[in-house]
Amino acid sequence: MHDSESDVFHQMNKNEEYCEFLKKIGIDAEAKPLDVNGTEENYYSKHFSNSPAMVTNHGNIKLKGSNIDEVQIIQRG
Amino acid sequence: MTQDLTPISWGAQDRFQAHFIVKTHHDVSEEDFLARAKLETKGHFASKRVTEVEWIGGALADVLNSDVELKNMITRLSYEDAHITIEPTKGNVRIYGKWKDSYNFGITKELFAVYDRIASHIKKELGSPPI
Repeated sequence: MHDSESDVFHQMNKNEEYCEFLKKIGIDAEAKPLDVNGTEENYYSKHFSNSPAMVTNHGNIKLKGSNIDEVQIIQRG
Repeated sequence: MTQDLTPISWGAQDRFQAHFIVKTHHDVSEEDFLARAKLETKGHFASKRVTEVEWIGGALADVLNSDVELKNMITRLSYEDAHITIEPTKGNVRIYGKWKDSYNFGITKELFAVYDRIASHIKKELGSPPI
């Protein structure tokens, strides 16, 4: 059996996947491995009542040449 | 024993958010930097469009309300993308939209341009030169 799809695939983290989206629209972005420097902030909102109590941090993306310093990807629950 | 008819979902859900962070490097007044876009719309369902944007919040909201070009940029976004919140947290000011499922989780050039313009206003308010 021959298949056009490769047997090998590269599983991407959510922040790497989002980093690719940013690169596609021309943004200079670099996905950082999770907890590379241990200074990532765990997001918790105390301002909005509908914010989830728990979120999963998927890591940060460093941006260059933009007013935005970095992007953090989070998942609800 | 009866089964709970409305079980509470727990664990990681298929809902993602990207927080666009401007580093403040010092504590800022939370009331000044908290803002949320209040939208006026026309149409229903898939044809729902944003016609007017008003920023509600602290001092930053007044600055954003005075930027007519930013409002025009937001009205060109989809209804889902136009829900923008700005929230200060420890050492950061975060700009983010609604929760999205993994299928719809992405970014467009137009949405990034809006976030970048908001970030430039935040930097100006912080006293740093915008890029």
